[in-house]
Amino acid sequence: MSTPEPAVEWLDSEPDQAGIDRQRLAGLLFELARAINRDFAAKVPSLLPADPRLAELRTILMGREQALLARLARRLDDPEQLAAAVSQVLPSAIVQAAARDERLGQVLAPTVERAAESSIRRDPRALVGILSPVMAPAIRRSIGEAIESMLQSLNEALKASFSWRGLRWRLEAWRTGTPFATVVLQHTLVYRVEHVFLIHKESGLLIEHVAADPAASRDPQMVSGMLSAIQDFVRDSFADHAGGEVDAMRLGELLIWRSDGPHAFLATVIRGKPPESLRERFESTLAQIHVERRHALQHFDGDTAAFPGLRDQLAECLLKQAKPRDRRASPILWGFLFALLALLAWGAYAWYERHQEDAQWAAYLRRLQAEPGIVVTGAERRDGKLYVTGLRDPLAVRPEALLDGFALAPAKVIGSWSPYQALDPAFVFKRVQASLEPLQTVELRLEADAVRAYGSAPRHWIEKARAVSRLLPAGALALDLSGVQDVDMTEVERLRASIEAQVIRFDTDAPRPAPGQEAIIDSVAAELRALAELARSLGLSMRTTIIGHADATGKDAPNLALSLGRAEVVRSLLRARGIDPDLLSVRGAGMLEPTEEGAVRDSSRDRRVSFTIRISE
Amino acid sequence: MALQKKICMLGAFAVGKTSLVRRYVDSIFSDRYLTTVGVKIDKRMVTVGTAEVSLILWDIAGEDDISQVRASYVRGAAGYLLVADGTRPATIDVAQSIQQRVEAEVGKLPFIVLLNKRDLQSLWSVSGQDIVALERAGWTVRMTSAHSGEGVEQAFQTLAERVTSHP
Repeated sequence: MSTPEPAVEWLDSEPDQAGIDRQRLAGLLFELARAINRDFAAKVPSLLPADPRLAELRTILMGREQALLARLARRLDDPEQLAAAVSQVLPSAIVQAAARDERLGQVLAPTVERAAESSIRRDPRALVGILSPVMAPAIRRSIGEAIESMLQSLNEALKASFSWRGLRWRLEAWRTGTPFATVVLQHTLVYRVEHVFLIHKESGLLIEHVAADPAASRDPQMVSGMLSAIQDFVRDSFADHAGGEVDAMRLGELLIWRSDGPHAFLATVIRGKPPESLRERFESTLAQIHVERRHALQHFDGDTAAFPGLRDQLAECLLKQAKPRDRRASPILWGFLFALLALLAWGAYAWYERHQEDAQWAAYLRRLQAEPGIVVTGAERRDGKLYVTGLRDPLAVRPEALLDGFALAPAKVIGSWSPYQALDPAFVFKRVQASLEPLQTVELRLEADAVRAYGSAPRHWIEKARAVSRLLPAGALALDLSGVQDVDMTEVERLRASIEAQVIRFDTDAPRPAPGQEAIIDSVAAELRALAELARSLGLSMRTTIIGHADATGKDAPNLALSLGRAEVVRSLLRARGIDPDLLSVRGAGMLEPTEEGAVRDSSRDRRVSFTIRISE
Repeated sequence: MALQKKICMLGAFAVGKTSLVRRYVDSIFSDRYLTTVGVKIDKRMVTVGTAEVSLILWDIAGEDDISQVRASYVRGAAGYLLVADGTRPATIDVAQSIQQRVEAEVGKLPFIVLLNKRDLQSLWSVSGQDIVALERAGWTVRMTSAHSGEGVEQAFQTLAERVTSHP
């Protein structure tokens, strides 16, 4: 048993020295022994599960492939190696998968989302960092635009007229249920400084605070901290570290101004719309505080006891300016009041006018009624005009003429009159007067029972008067003409006789009147004129024949011519005196019509021109 | 007016800064300011000796690590409360970073480290050794619970005393 010792020991040793699989070698040797010694083989069963020769054969035939497989298996089993291998092909695999279809994206999406979500949850700033270069300018621009549009709308509002604002306030009052006057007051307060904070610049600690209404202020220490913090926030967020301060903030009606000093700033809370000059006021106050309290400000450590008297100084900044209550609203209010007053005055005036007019109208109608020859049958007021209807004798006074005494516009009064004849004695008298042509010689009198005419009148006048009398309505006054004498025919006769009695003398054989006959011719001419006039007025026709005569001393024929010549001469003389030649005809009588028949003839009396006048109806 | 001191509340995200001040300060601003403006000012009155001191607390929202602590918030502060979460040791590292940054920014200031959420005993994962290590580094560490109020009053008091005696 001593010989196997080294063998066993060798078998036991590590396999790496010779690279020999000792286990297998031992098995092979054992099998070899069994093959040599048959008895041994019969006693001891084979240790090998299969014929080792097969395995040997496999090794010989498949050795390389087995080694390759083993290497692959090792690589697959080791995560490090596998990761290294996959990482080499992953990019191109992803490219190929993505190019083939969308499945890769769909499969990866939930995972990527989860990853992003968890990443953001863990550290949102990463995302903020990525997005801020993109978002910040957009946000900034949008804020800028909002501010600009706000300014623009403010401008628009300012541009809008009083009436617009008034309307808006009215609407606001209606909407909020507050009295209009209150709303106006709210809006008409120009501004009021409600709080003044003096704040230490570095720490944001409050140095001093004053308020217009101390009861309304909240913890000023916290407010001042918040004011500083908000400003830091705004500056850090939007100012791009470009320095500068947020010098104004606005919240509805509240405005917060910041005035800056080297060590402290003044934050003023103002309600309303302060003028820019107010800022100067704050800045000068702040500057003064810095000058006077430089040391205290420089070394401020939160102890406000180092600032005695500061309160009073700040209280001077609590300014306010109220507008005179109604000055703004006045144009509308006054306009409205004025319009109302004007309306009232107009109404009152119209009422008074109307009243006056009614009274005048009634009086006018009474006056019309009282007027003879006018009968009012209706009166009304329509469309602002006054209508009166009735009857009117054409001889009556014109109704318009009666308006003179009344305060009525003639254009407003419209009369519509039907003509009629009034039977009042006065009217009958008037009508008779109007119907007859006036005559100097006739006088008309209105007597109790009749209109009587007295005097003398030509016949045609008398006849016309009779016609008028007949036209008078029965039962009314009559025209009594019995007192008028017919004067016409007597005059005509007298003139005719006078003219026919006239003789114009001639010298022997002379065709022209003898000297001294001019006066007779003139007289004849005058009487002829009067007669012609009278005849014409009476409607009579008249013819005057001028007859020339000669004495008996000559022959008949020359005497006839002479007598005709004398008649012609007289005619032309009369014509020269204005007698219408148509009224005159001539005849030569020769010596046939001597003045005196028989007796002693005075031939001088035969040398003459005589006249005959014929008058016919 | 009493003495005032600006105090900053600093610390990692969700360590309970806001909860710490919420119940123990006078506040006129809603917590909404933190999400809208990013900062909220509160006030805590404490008495140091005979003097009344107003601690004006600047609570800054969403500060996750030092990169976000704005210098302007810290400037002018008399001291600060550095808040960490006792259940998340990582927040102590953040606090350390913040502290270094603040010191670089405004110099040495009194501060107190508050290990908050003391009430969550089962989740507490800061060991006593850790605290000793911090104190060895010169930090004043107080364990607080905004939930139960444990340690909060004392922490404010301690800081008030430090900032009033600080030159």
